[in-house]
Amino acid sequence: MAYRLPKKGLDQTLRAWAEQSKVFAPQKREGYAQFLPWKAGVELLLDEPHNTRFPPKAFLLPQSETLLTYNRKLNQLETPTLQISPRIIFGIRPCDAHAVALLDTVFATQENPDPYWRARREQTILIGVGCNQPATTCFCTSVGSSPFDHAGLDAIFTDIGEAYLVETFTERGEALFAGLPQAEANDEGQARSIQQQAEAGLTPAFATDNLKDHLDQIFDSSLWNEFAQSCLGCGICTFLCPTCFCFDIVDEAQRDERVRNWDTCMFRIYSLEASGHNPRPSRAERTRQRLMHKFSYWIEHANQFGCTGCGRCVRYCPVGLDIRAMLRKAAATPSEVVHAN
Amino acid sequence: MTELETKIRAEAERLLSEHLVDVVVAFRKEDAPLHPQPAFFTQVDELQDLVYNGLCANNLANYLTRHPQETRIGMVVRGCENRSVNALVVEKQHTRENLVLIGIPCEGILDWRHIVALTGENVLSVEENGESVCVHTRENTFAFSRVELLHPSCQRCLHPNPISADVLLGELKPEGDPELMRLRIEALENLTLEERNAWFRHEAERCIRCYACREACPMCYCTECFVDHTEPRWSESGVTPAGMQAWHIVRAFHQTGRCTSCGACERACPMDIQMTYLTDKLNLDMIDAYQFEVGMDTTTQPPFATLTLDDKNRFITRGK
Ligand code: SF4
Ligand code: SF4
Ligand code: SF4
Ligand code: SF4
Ligand code: SF4
Repeated sequence: MAYRLPKKGLDQTLRAWAEQSKVFAPQKREGYAQFLPWKAGVELLLDEPHNTRFPPKAFLLPQSETLLTYNRKLNQLETPTLQISPRIIFGIRPCDAHAVALLDTVFATQENPDPYWRARREQTILIGVGCNQPATTCFCTSVGSSPFDHAGLDAIFTDIGEAYLVETFTERGEALFAGLPQAEANDEGQARSIQQQAEAGLTPAFATDNLKDHLDQIFDSSLWNEFAQSCLGCGICTFLCPTCFCFDIVDEAQRDERVRNWDTCMFRIYSLEASGHNPRPSRAERTRQRLMHKFSYWIEHANQFGCTGCGRCVRYCPVGLDIRAMLRKAAATPSEVVHAN
Repeated sequence: MTELETKIRAEAERLLSEHLVDVVVAFRKEDAPLHPQPAFFTQVDELQDLVYNGLCANNLANYLTRHPQETRIGMVVRGCENRSVNALVVEKQHTRENLVLIGIPCEGILDWRHIVALTGENVLSVEENGESVCVHTRENTFAFSRVELLHPSCQRCLHPNPISADVLLGELKPEGDPELMRLRIEALENLTLEERNAWFRHEAERCIRCYACREACPMCYCTECFVDHTEPRWSESGVTPAGMQAWHIVRAFHQTGRCTSCGACERACPMDIQMTYLTDKLNLDMIDAYQFEVGMDTTTQPPFATLTLDDKNRFITRGK
């Protein structure tokens, strides 16, 4: 269904939601945008051409979370019962919601669902705001998404000037807007043309035909050493990435807790074995893992790229390694030249 | 291409073509706007990509420890980078004889975050003309004076000139005012304990433990960082206040007498966290207590790395 919500009415809508749920919306924190609890009177950053700096995946997969507690004396384990209250994430960008849909293929599978993810996901409604003016670092259309992608969303807003056109995709999304007047044909027409214009403004960032096969073929290329030369091996490109999901489980013995923390293939201790052996001993193998995972292994796993083109890794890499340029270089690396390592 | 870039390229070309070095460490033109990349030139024909400008934000000395001591390295160094190289030579991380330092008197690094905050996300290019800087975005053009865009560490810089370069390109700059660093630290010291604690917590609590600050720092070259130790365990693993605060304090303390105040750690941080106030405080303590400034030569050990049996403090116990 499509509704019309005048911008003046947004505050009232959020206020009504906040009576039932926790509502989070992008606001200024230091020099960046972050999802913070909505309160009457706060200023929202909805027009910024970019994402929140920290990815909203953290609402569903917190950077650190206690999986269980134990009592060594009594020899007992206790799994915390997750009491997640309903929450609405308002103003999420389509690339970040698309990333949540991708992560569902990891954490919300039929066979092996992650109870912590599922408990949060069930209680979390995602209301997107599409991107009228994608930023220069955005490349969603190159990776199978778009500035008005619906994946993962319960509803999406399109800014049509004085009002938003609200399109709902799920029952729970629908329920949030039930009282609003339905959109008129010319609202929808206006929204479509804004959406098309936004999409048309994005040019392909790299070639995706055969990308997976090509990457597989250059697995042993010296190209990875070239990237690794400047790469710092920090956690920025993966911790800020909305689709990266690696974690490490650690016992915090001083508090008798077993904790799950985000981990990243870019860290030197990632996949380090107790023997001291590391199957990815240098930054070259680690950089390769990041690109391979996103553009080859994800295809095997879900037939989609594990990147939604949000551009965070491009903007915040401290040494300017731009994943788009890396993939262009990969595409230009001939597959027959296999370097012995 | 600027005049300075032409000179750097010519020098790099000379070093490579005369086989005086194996690699030249400098910057190459950016793929992502605002972020020229550290680059490693081994062939003369690659040098067309070499750039040097105010957005070259990394401390290149960071890459010294990635090469074996035998590798002959040519490196573009500004004041702080030269001192970092010296500090690393003192710590025996490279042989000075195998280094050719191409020194650039530094005009200061432009703070890309500050540029983005003032002009918006969609920066296309930045043009530097001496004391003025022009920023072109998708929507607009903005003019600034250079000083207003300088990274805070560069505003407080004491030694912009490379002190022991093998080749010096460009005009020497005046030394910085030591009071600037001191004033900032004194302002913090004049706060009450609660206010200082609040300041510290406010910075540390945004940390996502990505360790970019560590990885960007030339002096953080341990093969195993204390935070990665499991036995013994020095710090909590997660993004808990205890874990994040332990990280911030201990990282800073491990820099005592080793940090050159280059600010590369802060420029790398994805969460806009200030952290040089900790290391700058320790640097001032080193000056006040030991008259020691790091990296001013290639022989003097930092005070906390020296060990003498006649140390007046009692923690040295002689064997009986
Ligand atoms: S953010 Fe950049 S430097 Fe850090 S690990 Fe990723 S590619 Fe390497
Ligand atoms: S790989 Fe980079 S651009 Fe792609 S989703 Fe992750 S952070 Fe965004
Ligand atoms: S392996 Fe690397 S790229 Fe893949 S999800 Fe983990 S951190 Fe991200
Ligand atoms: S701690 Fe920061 S300021 Fe000090 S040397 Fe390292 S990167 Fe530079
Ligand atoms: S770079 Fe910033 S966020 Fe990352 S570990 Fe250092 S202080 Fe924390």
